[in-house]
Formats: sequence, structure tokens, C-alpha cells
Amino acid sequence: MLQIQFFSLIRMLLKRDAIEIPWVEGDTVQSVLDKTQAQIATPFLHKLLDGSGTAHTGTIILVNRKNILHLQGLQTPLADGDVLAFFPPGAGG
Amino acid sequence: MAETDRYARQVLHWGAEKQRIIEDSALLIAGVGGLGATVSQLLVRAGIGCLYLVDDGCLDWPDLNRQTLYGEKDIGRAKVPLARERLNQINSATEIVELSGRIDDTFQMPDGVDGVADCLDNYQSRFTLYRAVAAGTYFVHGGLNGDQGQVLTLLAGESQSFDQIFAGAMQPQGPIPVTPDNVVIIAGLMVNELFSVLWKTPKLLDRCLVIGLDDFNMAFLDI
Repeated sequence: MLQIQFFSLIRMLLKRDAIEIPWVEGDTVQSVLDKTQAQIATPFLHKLLDGSGTAHTGTIILVNRKNILHLQGLQTPLADGDVLAFFPPGAGG
Repeated sequence: MAETDRYARQVLHWGAEKQRIIEDSALLIAGVGGLGATVSQLLVRAGIGCLYLVDDGCLDWPDLNRQTLYGEKDIGRAKVPLARERLNQINSATEIVELSGRIDDTFQMPDGVDGVADCLDNYQSRFTLYRAVAAGTYFVHGGLNGDQGQVLTLLAGESQSFDQIFAGAMQPQGPIPVTPDNVVIIAGLMVNELFSVLWKTPKLLDRCLVIGLDDFNMAFLDI
């Protein structure tokens, strides 16, 4: 299984803090995002990705605590048991 | 009661040794706006030994909803000298050091800082600030947006770096929604963590506390 965690405004939007999705050989962040959207009625991918399918600035995506921008981005491969976190941190002070 | 009883109520809670550590410690407050005004105020009330303040901003009307050290007559004044004046009025025992200028690539961390409070309002400055933090120094980050906010502690040189974690977190266009209640709550949590950092028992090391006031949600994001 993969654990998908939602924080802050994403959690508010989706009205849930986590879901689990069965892991499939070949899964990437992108494919799991698509599967997550299919499982959740509320549209949210537009909050994470821009029109060209790259990750939005503003929401950080972590795989096992590592920002995907330091891995392989949306093509980062996932293993069974991985934890994905979607977190749009507050910038204000 | 006498001035010597200033800290009596908190010492009842955390004891004389932890109070001594607070009084012997120095922290750098990066930004004395929303978060920084309350963070510095609470630290001074608690008897912190020394605060370094850095912020190149001047007070403007939209600041007054949350920047608890300032008032209407202060509009237009530079925040750092103003904050120093107000903090000195609260507790003259704390040494307040004004650092001039802004946080850019020329910024140098003063020697002897026991921890850094990131009370800034944008990620580019935060990335720059973190690069100036010496290895082995604790860095307590706070940030907020509307009724959401977060607090995270990093230990420079050992934790993932701030810009590794927050890569891609950029400034939204236009002003960020910020309410007085959320600012004070996040600032209070930062101060609680700063005390723990000074006592070498941080609770949020590599662990981001994410607060949602929409439903009083508190969640942890391991970093």
C-alpha cells in the first residue's frame, strides 16, 4: 500500500488527512496522483500541477520525507509502503 | 512583590535551572513583523538574555492587525529600533541588538547565537537566512496562511537543509491573508519550541507541526 497524506489547505479542500492506495509495480508520483484524483470526488490536481503537468510552486510534495524536486519530480518511482505528503506551507508571518 | 519576583510564576512551572538557561541565552529574531513582534515580546517577558533583531521594514497600516508591539503613532517608523524601544520597556534586563540591513547573501550571523527564529514572510529570504546559520545551530521556522500555519525545527548541518525541504515553495502573488489570532498562536508555539531548543529538548526537530484553525486540527509531517 501507499499512504497519501494531505496537509493544510489541501487537507481542507479534500476534507480528509490521508488515504491509502494499493501499490502497483511501476507506480510514480504522477500515476499515484492520477489514481488519487480518481478516488477522491473533489478536483484537486489543478492545485498541485500546472497546465503543462509539472508540479506547481507553492505545494511541496514529499516522498518518504524527501522533496520530489530533489528526486525525479513527478516521475519519481514509488515502492510498496512509500509515504507521499502534499503540503502547501504558509509563507506569511 | 519586588522586581526580583518578575519570573516567579514561570519558575513555579519550569524551575530555576531552565530559567537560568533562558537568561544566559541569545537568539536571533529574523523579522519583527507579525510573528517576530510576538515571538520577541514573549521571549523578553520570559527573561531571555539577548535578542538580535533583523528586519529592514517600516511600519504600515496593514501591519497593525497583528504586529503586537506597535500602534498607530508608529506608522512610517523603522520596525527594528521601534521593537527595541518597546522590548526595553517590557524588560530592560534583556540586551537587544539591532542588526542593520536586510537578509541577503551578505548577511552574516552574529557569533554566540544559540538559535534562530524564522519569523520572515517569504521563502526566498528564508532560504538566504538558513544558508547563514552555522552548523550545530537550531533553526525554528514559522509560517502561516489564513487560518493555517506551521512550525518546524531544524538543526543546521544535521537536518535536511531548509531549501531542500521547501524547494518549490514560493511566494504567492499579492498579499498573503493573515489574521491576528493565527499569528499569535503560531508565534506562541514557536516560543514554546524555542524554549525547548534552549533546553536541548526540541519537540519539533525534523517534524513539522501543521496547525489548521478551521477545525482545530494539529498534524505532524515528518521531514
